Amino acid sequence: MAASLTRFTRRRARNTALVVGATLLLVAITHLAETTLHDIRFVTGWTLFGLIVGLALFDLRRRIPVLPLGSASDWEQVHIYGGWCAVAVFLTHTGAGLPDGPLEIALWIPFVAVTISGTVGIWLSRVLPKRMRDHGARELYDRIATRRAEIAAEAQALAISSARDTGSVTIADYYQKELSAYFQRPRNALAHLTGYQGHLRLQQQQIQSLHRYVDARGHKILNRLSELVEIKDDLDYQFAAQSALRLWLFVHVPLAYGLLILIAVHAVLAHAFEVGPS
Amino acid sequence: MSAETTAISRPRRWDNPFDPDLSTADVERILAAPVFRDLDPNRFPPGQSLPDIVRNDARINRYQRGDIVVLEGDYGNSVFVILSGKVNVLYGYLPEIGRPPRRARRPFWNALAQLWRNSREIETRTLSPSARAVHMRANRGRAYLPDIERVIAEHSVTPLEHGDMFGEISALSRGPRTATVFADTDCELIELRWQGLRDLRARDPDLRERVDHLHRTRSLLAHLSESPLFAHLDEATIALVAQEIRFENHGTQELFPTGELPTESGGSLAGEPLIAEEGSLTDDLIMIRAGFARVTEHLDHGNRTVGYLKNNDVFGLEEIVRQWRGNGSVPLRNSLRAIGYLDILRVPAVVMERYVLPTMPEHLLPVAADTDIRATPVWKRDESATGIEQPLVDFLIDERIINGTQSMVIDLDRCTGCDDCVKACAATHDGNPRFVRQGPSHDDVMIANACMHCVDAVCLIGCPTGAIHRDLSSGDVHINDDTCIGCGTCSRSCPYGNIVMVEIADKAGTVITDRETGAAIRRATKCDLCAGQLGGPACQRACPNDALVRLDMSNPGEMVAWLHR
Repeated sequence: MAASLTRFTRRRARNTALVVGATLLLVAITHLAETTLHDIRFVTGWTLFGLIVGLALFDLRRRIPVLPLGSASDWEQVHIYGGWCAVAVFLTHTGAGLPDGPLEIALWIPFVAVTISGTVGIWLSRVLPKRMRDHGARELYDRIATRRAEIAAEAQALAISSARDTGSVTIADYYQKELSAYFQRPRNALAHLTGYQGHLRLQQQQIQSLHRYVDARGHKILNRLSELVEIKDDLDYQFAAQSALRLWLFVHVPLAYGLLILIAVHAVLAHAFEVGPS
Repeated sequence: MSAETTAISRPRRWDNPFDPDLSTADVERILAAPVFRDLDPNRFPPGQSLPDIVRNDARINRYQRGDIVVLEGDYGNSVFVILSGKVNVLYGYLPEIGRPPRRARRPFWNALAQLWRNSREIETRTLSPSARAVHMRANRGRAYLPDIERVIAEHSVTPLEHGDMFGEISALSRGPRTATVFADTDCELIELRWQGLRDLRARDPDLRERVDHLHRTRSLLAHLSESPLFAHLDEATIALVAQEIRFENHGTQELFPTGELPTESGGSLAGEPLIAEEGSLTDDLIMIRAGFARVTEHLDHGNRTVGYLKNNDVFGLEEIVRQWRGNGSVPLRNSLRAIGYLDILRVPAVVMERYVLPTMPEHLLPVAADTDIRATPVWKRDESATGIEQPLVDFLIDERIINGTQSMVIDLDRCTGCDDCVKACAATHDGNPRFVRQGPSHDDVMIANACMHCVDAVCLIGCPTGAIHRDLSSGDVHINDDTCIGCGTCSRSCPYGNIVMVEIADKAGTVITDRETGAAIRRATKCDLCAGQLGGPACQRACPNDALVRLDMSNPGEMVAWLHR
């Protein structure tokens, strides 16, 4: 049975088992400490600090590709499952309760934000690449603007030629009022990320409705404009998805570094105001 | 002032001779030696005279008894002519002398310092005179047989002496050495690198015929000795078989003979000459000597690709074995077509039945095709014989990706476009990425525009200086930046567009120009698999999503394992 599982499935099962095992061990130790009236908050606190420092090293690994520090994919696995361990330690350390002081709130909010942004990041990284495959060729992020400009230029040329060659202004009017702005910049980012396609359907219906007002040459131009709208829509999808795949890191990484600083402050204060037998 | 520092004389072919210390007397000695003395100097134009070629592309090597001249499996492109002494050719035995060390890896701290030493400007170079004098390729270092008498006594050796030539198989086929050659006595050898041999062959038909004849006859024996089908035969029988074998060349040197990718409407097999047709009589065993072939079977009005064959693969063996076992005349099950150029050997079926099959070990005989599989309509079969799903194998063959030994394959279902691979590549190459994260794709598989380090690296053929070359031990294709003259021949030759010509700049970022014409000086650049870097290709190590891998396409098993990971 094990042989029929893919390597990724086996890896996921192993890592999950490790996290669950470590969490159970932590819960057992905490329970034992409570029943024996030991205070292990400093132990869990320093463990959490160590874990978060370890997780932050992944960013360092990504910035030093010139050294043989192991594959980034292995580091990411450690980062993801180490992150879940950190959540377990955090819940143990805080008693799974809500914060009730200013400093606790200042620690609690970034930790939760880092956890949520990280989880969203994993989800985006696993879902969006597959969806991008269904929306045209994968464009390099840096080249999307250039490609968009090319499409816009072709659409504009078509609109101009329609007025010149067919003697009709229907297409040119529609282009000026509706399509010109559509081709100029990325559109419908939120709709793309949520999978909504209504805007494209509406656009295509509008173009389709113009067919009755133009001649045979106009039909050809409208068909090509319809194709360009679809190509542009795919390009917008690529842009929205790739932007999301980049932007979550701009939330996650700075928050994580901020959290590290706050934890360090918290540790100093905790030791400074430590009461009772050490 | 700035113009003075950024203008140089355009590098030329003759700037980096094979042996900078070769004297005029040595050149005259080479020209008086066998092979060279038969060349007609009048066939060479003034700008590329025979002495010029010899001075630039030849050198005289001296060996002591027992020294290894070439080692089987090493990659080399020189031919040798014996000036004095004797050498022995050793087939099928690999001396335990160890491979030459791989390219030296930089020290840890040196690698780390790259983080801040990388240039902020693109494609910068330091053009010091010493850098220009860097030699074309390092020698493998002295290696010798520790027990020469025992090797000669226990193994079959072919002696060569004054005036004999060897090394032409690797030079012409761009493949690894097929035999080991060691010095039987103290000897002197003329070594002529590929660029010189190419020019001499182009100008002198007699030499071309002589070299090609040697190539045909010797590579045949080498090929037979490498093939497991003939390994059980004694030398006399192999000689008998060799006499009956026919050489054939098919296809063209162009991997895409029509100038573009095959299209469905134009027939995906356009430009791929038919060598053996399904349903015809099985008269010969076909052995692939060089190049690639497509195996197909009829399906309605088209042909389904079953798989592809490469060097040392055979076609028609199963049918010949069935004929030999008394099944009467067995027609060919599949068709065979040339992809690009293809060199084949035809071994007549009667020769196989008389000399080869009766004594062939049972485990080498092919198992008859699974009747259940044969009964399944072809359109219902999920995978080709390679184990890869049918549309993907069509894609890999149509795009000629099968030529790659280190193809950069990206799983689009996992690639987030983070560009960590590109950044890692740039960080290890002085700030300049050596590939583009784009390329032909099929479904979730993309083949990025990165040098594939091809089985048949056609980029090597035209290089005037030998700047683009194979690594002696690994066979990876590298460009020596110091000896590249920026002619662009390799870039134009690469069928995949994976070699990029760049304008180089000085440390201040000013483009370096030719002092005479003012034109920008260019260099060829491409992926070098992070040669010399710690840890291997940085792109693969940098991918956090397990989306990027370097795969040997001549081994479909690697691809299958990766797809099902």
